[in-house]
Amino acid sequence: MKKILFLLSLILLIAAPSVFARDVPIMSKDDLNAQLGSDKLVILDVRSGRDWSSSEFKIKGAVRAPGSELAKWSANYKKDQTLVLYCA
Amino acid sequence: MKHSFALSLALGSGWLLCPESLVIAGNNAGQLGWLTLPLLAAVALLFAVCGRLLNNPLLPTTDSKEFQILQELTGTIPAAGITIAACIPLVVLAATALLVTSGYTFNEVFLYWFPNFGFSFLLLVLLTILQFFPEKTIFRAQVCFAALAAGGILGLALYGITGGEKTVTKILQQPVHFSSASPALLFLLFVGSTLSWNKQKPSFLVPLAGFVIFFLWILASLAYVTPERLASSTIPYMTAARKIMGDPGRQIMGVIVISGTCAAITSLVLLSRRMLAEIISEEMTTGLLTEKAQQWIFPPLIALSTGLLMATGLAGDELLEVLLRAALILWLFYYSFVCLSALIWIKKKSQPISLPAGIGTLILMISLFTLVINNPHTIEICIFIFSTLGISGLLAAVWLSIHKKFNTQMETTV
Repeated sequence: MKKILFLLSLILLIAAPSVFARDVPIMSKDDLNAQLGSDKLVILDVRSGRDWSSSEFKIKGAVRAPGSELAKWSANYKKDQTLVLYCA
Repeated sequence: MKHSFALSLALGSGWLLCPESLVIAGNNAGQLGWLTLPLLAAVALLFAVCGRLLNNPLLPTTDSKEFQILQELTGTIPAAGITIAACIPLVVLAATALLVTSGYTFNEVFLYWFPNFGFSFLLLVLLTILQFFPEKTIFRAQVCFAALAAGGILGLALYGITGGEKTVTKILQQPVHFSSASPALLFLLFVGSTLSWNKQKPSFLVPLAGFVIFFLWILASLAYVTPERLASSTIPYMTAARKIMGDPGRQIMGVIVISGTCAAITSLVLLSRRMLAEIISEEMTTGLLTEKAQQWIFPPLIALSTGLLMATGLAGDELLEVLLRAALILWLFYYSFVCLSALIWIKKKSQPISLPAGIGTLILMISLFTLVINNPHTIEICIFIFSTLGISGLLAAVWLSIHKKFNTQMETTV
């Protein structure tokens, strides 16, 4: 029983970040396409290391902003800007 | 053990055919332009000369000759330490990096709904299972992986060269940005190419094959992609493949990346197993970790370490690139040290040292130094190299002393 409880806690702990992540709005491909070219739109590629370098698909004009350095780059943007983060 | 011509080529060229080598070649072609071709020929020649040095009849003719040569110069524990430091970190870090690249390639080229990490783990499991099969099966698989990757590169390159609009004259007119760091990187293409599993075959076999493959690929890449694009791209191989043949080119490159990854990982695991077997056969006559036993222990350990590194997110960290570069440099250090020890061994036998071999070893050491100082992460690389050598030395000392005790107990019992 203890083992099962431990496993369940572990799964909950692992799943927690993705549950909280649901609060962040998700933009569809079509919505993004419609907004491309807008001054207020900033596309941020949060992939780093090999996740970024091995990928063939990079959105034109996207700015690299590694997720681990959020505090560093988030200050560079104004609150009225639309920040679109993508990681895959 | 006697290997066929195809197997010797497949085993020695595993790393040559991996996506990491294609990136090094592509970026170099972008920076150095046509100058990459003669430099590549020089590096291939140097490895052939060093391979010939290690095939010298004055050196031991056993399978474990590299370890024996090092042992003669440095003693047992340092020799075992250097050997472990050269092979284990390289195989784990290279497997991590290459599997992640293959995962992305599979996801973006073939099945977009299949998770990239899922594919990386699947490939890791399959390649680990392969290591449990008899050696003959592993060798057959290795020949298939290498043939698929080499055939794909050659096919794309020849298609590009014969159908390209740009002529050789145009390639010769492209700008050349020479720096000492770029040619030194070419040395990293030939990792594991001329070690003694090819000793029955001419030492120039793998370097020559590598030269031919990359000569044609670089020529085709330069004919289709601008040097600036090649130099700055993180996937110059995919950019060139797309320009050469469009979407079918991407798909062929996808097959090359995945089969090249399989060839590189299989050959690096086999090379490491053989290097550890050298220590075992020289120093451990009975019991504890026999050659047969390490076949069942070593591959799962490598897979576990690789899986852990992937799961902890090292692939998404710039640190992986630094560590992989450091591990490759460490391997080059091992190789140049083996060559230097071989020269000293021959000198001790009062025989003249061949001038090309001496110059080759010297250039290897200079390139090693250049690779370390020209890297933006020199300090991290030095820390990695020294700490790995220290830890491996300690590990070797503990391993050998435990075995010595075990052997003594066995003898007392008998």
